[in-house]
Amino acid sequence: MEVEDLGHHISRRFNEDLEHVRSSVLAMGGLVEEQLDRAMQALADGDSELGLKVAEDDVKVNRMEVSINDECSRILATRAPTASDLRLVIAIIKMITDLERIGDEAEKIGVLAARLASMERPTTNYREVRNLARHVKNMLRGALDAFARLDAKAALAVVKADEVVDEEYEAIYRQGITFMMEDPRQISRVMDTTWMARALERIGDHAKNICEYVIFMVHGKDIRYTGVEHMEQEIERRRQEGAS
Amino acid sequence: MTLPNRWVSQLLHLAAWLAAALLLGLWFGRPGWWLTGALALYTARLLRNLYLLDRFLAGGKRVPLFATRGLWPELFARVERLRTKARNRKKRYHKLLREVRESTGALSDGGIILNAEHEILWFNPAAGRLLGLDAATDLGQRIDNLLRHPDFVAYLAEPSGEGIVVPSPRTEGGWLSVQLIPYGKDQRLAIVRDVTRERQGERTRRDFVANASHELRSPLTVIGGYLDALADDPELPGAWHGPIGEMRRQAERMTGILRDLIELTRLESAESTAPAEFVDVAGMLRAMLKEFEATPNGPDLTLKLETDAALLGHEQELHSVFYNLISNAVRFTPRPGRVEIVWRRAGEGAVFEVIDTGIGIPAEQIPRITERFYRVDTGRSRATGGTGLGLAIVKHALQRHGAALEIESREGQGSRFACRFPAERVALRGSAERAVV
Repeated sequence: MEVEDLGHHISRRFNEDLEHVRSSVLAMGGLVEEQLDRAMQALADGDSELGLKVAEDDVKVNRMEVSINDECSRILATRAPTASDLRLVIAIIKMITDLERIGDEAEKIGVLAARLASMERPTTNYREVRNLARHVKNMLRGALDAFARLDAKAALAVVKADEVVDEEYEAIYRQGITFMMEDPRQISRVMDTTWMARALERIGDHAKNICEYVIFMVHGKDIRYTGVEHMEQEIERRRQEGAS
Repeated sequence: MTLPNRWVSQLLHLAAWLAAALLLGLWFGRPGWWLTGALALYTARLLRNLYLLDRFLAGGKRVPLFATRGLWPELFARVERLRTKARNRKKRYHKLLREVRESTGALSDGGIILNAEHEILWFNPAAGRLLGLDAATDLGQRIDNLLRHPDFVAYLAEPSGEGIVVPSPRTEGGWLSVQLIPYGKDQRLAIVRDVTRERQGERTRRDFVANASHELRSPLTVIGGYLDALADDPELPGAWHGPIGEMRRQAERMTGILRDLIELTRLESAESTAPAEFVDVAGMLRAMLKEFEATPNGPDLTLKLETDAALLGHEQELHSVFYNLISNAVRFTPRPGRVEIVWRRAGEGAVFEVIDTGIGIPAEQIPRITERFYRVDTGRSRATGGTGLGLAIVKHALQRHGAALEIESREGQGSRFACRFPAERVALRGSAERAVV
């Protein structure tokens, strides 16, 4: 499917439907991005009010998932799309689940940030977690941009970046265990920090999933679960096929 | 209708041609054949010229030569002139376009042209840098697919006012201001500016004011405490009672200014909309009235509650708003004046009014009175007290509630300050109680 294929339809109305649902998904993506932003800001500023507000606002994310789901069901039922359009709708239905889960993780981070706000700040000021968050934010943005542009290459780059995120999480986890052993009084704070890192790592995984759906949408074949190297080869092969 | 010369000459030419043919026909016999032949030749020549014209119009470069001046050369010359004009016009437009492109390329602000569906039609290099746009892939893409912040999406749906500030999608901690300007039939121009530095500057300033105010409070509390103790000390020499009283008053004034500064700073750095908690306006006003009635030498106070509607907002801020406005009215209305406090519905919204018969405000100063520390008449207002920040607090608090402040005043006659709250901030009794539950 080429990007331009989105315009080849018999029914002009159908095209508008697809464009609309695409925009809705990206609006949901924007909302989730902001939730993550604000949750991390709550941590950085020690702002418990903001953290709790993020948790409250998760209902908005859930509402959007429900409404987009309904929109997709309607399109499937009334338009019976085929080929690339069908792949688009299927990918969207899957994407919104991942986005909704990202929203839930952001909610958790908000609650944890509110709790940590009342505890003593460590001298590092949560530097490692904030660094991890920066990577994850970039992954999420990259995933949504790749979906907007239907760019399989960019999606693949994000998939690769998940490795770094996983490694960083492992490092925070191990470091946390060391802190807890050294000073049992810090256990509560370190555990909360570790849960936060875990939530961020999960967001990275969801962003990776979204990229895999984008690749599925663009190249038609489901090449998830086949490993990054294989994906890379496939994408390069199809790209060259398309160019010739 | 008079024919131009070339047509007259052409007709004469034809007439001469036919006359010649007729004469020759009469001379040699069979004039009919001669006439037909002449007409056939003439038609053939006409067709040939038309063919040349057709080829010329289709893009031929060379202008055919004609032996004599007349209709056909004239026609060709005109067509050539039209084409030259069009060519020159095109060149001029290209040049203009190139210059516009170069100048917008040099702009540091981003410009994006959107159509009615918010799809990107064109953008300059600065916009590409600020938003991470790529000309190869992003033309035709809806802008809110790439700039996804919920505030921006909402602003796109209803662009109003000065634009909106959103976090930068490219730089961590950066901020962009985006303003949409409609033009032409259905197009919009989006102007994007990097306001990171300004925002940081504002934040630094606010932090400074907040910190300074907090720091100043503690010493003041100490001073105020000692002054209170001195005032209550029975062994204090009589001569000192006056000065001590004055010092206490000044200390109280300073405390008031600091309290207002802290409040104002909080308002300025808070989110742009106030929360929607149930606030019992009528009850609040009744309690406030009792407080003010206790002040000696004040004007007559009347409270007109024409509705028992409540507000959805921030209780403490609304309290500040009402308190500040009533306090100003009382302070600037000497006996025997009147101050009327009104709370009423206005259409779907509600209005809080304070109308006094006090000293009024000169017309040219009305736009400035909500500035911080602005005094209408420095001598008089300082003597009557106040911190100079009351109206600034009122303005910010009302902004957070989506409300408008109306000020009318005539010097020497009195003033009217009104707060107009929008429908979404007004809660009617029955529905409000349900909402709280």
